[in-house]
Amino acid sequence: MPKRSLHSNKMNAPVIQTRDLDFSFSAAGKTLDNVNLVVPQGSIYGFLGPNGAGKTTTLRLLLGLLRMQKGGIEIFGKNFSQHRIDILKRTGSLIEQPSLYLHLTAKENLEIFRIIYGCSKSRIPDVLRVVGLENTGRKKAKQFSLGMKQRLSIAIALLHQPELLILDEPTNGLDPNGIIETRELIKKLNKEHNTTILVSSHILNEVERMATHVGIIHKGKMLFQGTLNELQHMKTGQAALEIETNDNTKAIQLLRQQFSAKQQHEKIILPLGDKQQTAAINRLLVQHGIDVYALHPQQNDLEQLFIDITSNDI
Amino acid sequence: MSFPISLRAEILKTRRSAAFWLSVIGAAFIPAIFFLMYFFKPGVFAQKVDNQPWKSHFTNGWQALSIFMLPMFIILTCSLIPQLEYKNNTWKQVFASPQSLGNIFFSKFMTIHLMILFCFFLFNLFMIVSAVTVNIFNKSYHFLDHTIDWSFLLRLNFKTYVSILGISAIQYWLSLRFKNFIAPIGIGLALLITSLILMQWEHIYKIPYAHPLLTFLAIKKNETSLLANHEWNSIGYFITFTALAFADMKYRKERG
Repeated sequence: MPKRSLHSNKMNAPVIQTRDLDFSFSAAGKTLDNVNLVVPQGSIYGFLGPNGAGKTTTLRLLLGLLRMQKGGIEIFGKNFSQHRIDILKRTGSLIEQPSLYLHLTAKENLEIFRIIYGCSKSRIPDVLRVVGLENTGRKKAKQFSLGMKQRLSIAIALLHQPELLILDEPTNGLDPNGIIETRELIKKLNKEHNTTILVSSHILNEVERMATHVGIIHKGKMLFQGTLNELQHMKTGQAALEIETNDNTKAIQLLRQQFSAKQQHEKIILPLGDKQQTAAINRLLVQHGIDVYALHPQQNDLEQLFIDITSNDI
Repeated sequence: MSFPISLRAEILKTRRSAAFWLSVIGAAFIPAIFFLMYFFKPGVFAQKVDNQPWKSHFTNGWQALSIFMLPMFIILTCSLIPQLEYKNNTWKQVFASPQSLGNIFFSKFMTIHLMILFCFFLFNLFMIVSAVTVNIFNKSYHFLDHTIDWSFLLRLNFKTYVSILGISAIQYWLSLRFKNFIAPIGIGLALLITSLILMQWEHIYKIPYAHPLLTFLAIKKNETSLLANHEWNSIGYFITFTALAFADMKYRKERG
């Protein structure tokens, strides 16, 4: 399967970088296969994939909730296993369903984590205001609606003003209003505090509305990684012709006189025209003494995946 | 991130929790029964506790506690406190917070032990309160005329605490191991009943679940050694199973 790793904004050093991450729960099969995640600083990285694609497994590995089997994880430029505590101090997280002490109030839940992270007492009313739970008083978390629980979990993740937020399906189970609010909150945090946010989702639409960068995972493999623009470009179904030759540099010079050709790895990519045009391109190359090894329309594995993801709406 | 911080957070979690109420109710249960017995049957009990009333009162109370209630309380507390995390799905939040595994493991274990000591303290307090209250209503008792033998009480508490160390480590390990709280409680209860059945066995001092009762019997016989054989065993079990439980948590593939 061709892997399209489109390099995004190189100005920003990645906050998260994984190297050839493999993981399997049993000998039967790999849950993650060679995952190279690159989350640039200041991005909202939408981590997209159908249910069971390996999103949660990846996020759990990033937080040290699963023991790494193969590959490497660097967060803030540091090796995770060696700097676990340093990294976690600067990271906020929400993994799967809300994790709250249900016998305690919103404030008491926050107080536990305030002590652990060592932040000031004023942060508690601050984050409660941010998520709109300032008036829950003595109400215990078990009396909260799912939406309120989710918001309190987000408040816990925000408590220590982390530079990196890892949110696993934060809008799962929320009503449409809650979904919009959460999305706006994510955008706001990113804009106002420059928080890097890695947010997973199985809904393409949702990711498109907030992400600056997108990674798509399917059956444990990264199929796409790049900016939202690059994704949208790809999604419009711009079919491409892929050519391999013995002299790509010369071939590109030649083709650029007529087409918008570009080099990608060892291949030349240009917009796919009709059959006659493909034949003409081949002829042109051969006539100029270039050996053509392969010439074919680019496979688009993403298309079916998009259908899977989009049809899986809410 | 230091240990006291993790410990403070752990203690906060037990506020209004089932474990907390178990300590209070567990500590109050036996003193309440004694109060009712003394109150309604002064003819029987005033004489029974007349010679050294405090010592008899405490001996009777701790006897009732040590046989079954105390090991059962340890089994439940060791299960309820880790259950707070399982039940609420909060292990992942704990492991994704900046605390070392050592702090996570030992702060929770220490909280369990503080809860046990809290229960010990309450039990003594309630035993004193029940005797004093009865004596206020009924003058045929002579608790108020005698002073409490604090050194005896302290010895009783100290040795009993040592005797439950082994059980606490085994149960803590089981409770971390099993997500379902029925498993550690069931195993603990089965072992406790087995050890009570085997009480006459010459190797019973090797069975941790019999240790609290053995301690009580030793004190009743006025044995004076600082620590009896089975109490050393209890400490041995404590160290072994604590180390085992920690290694188990540290090397687990999946946390939270």
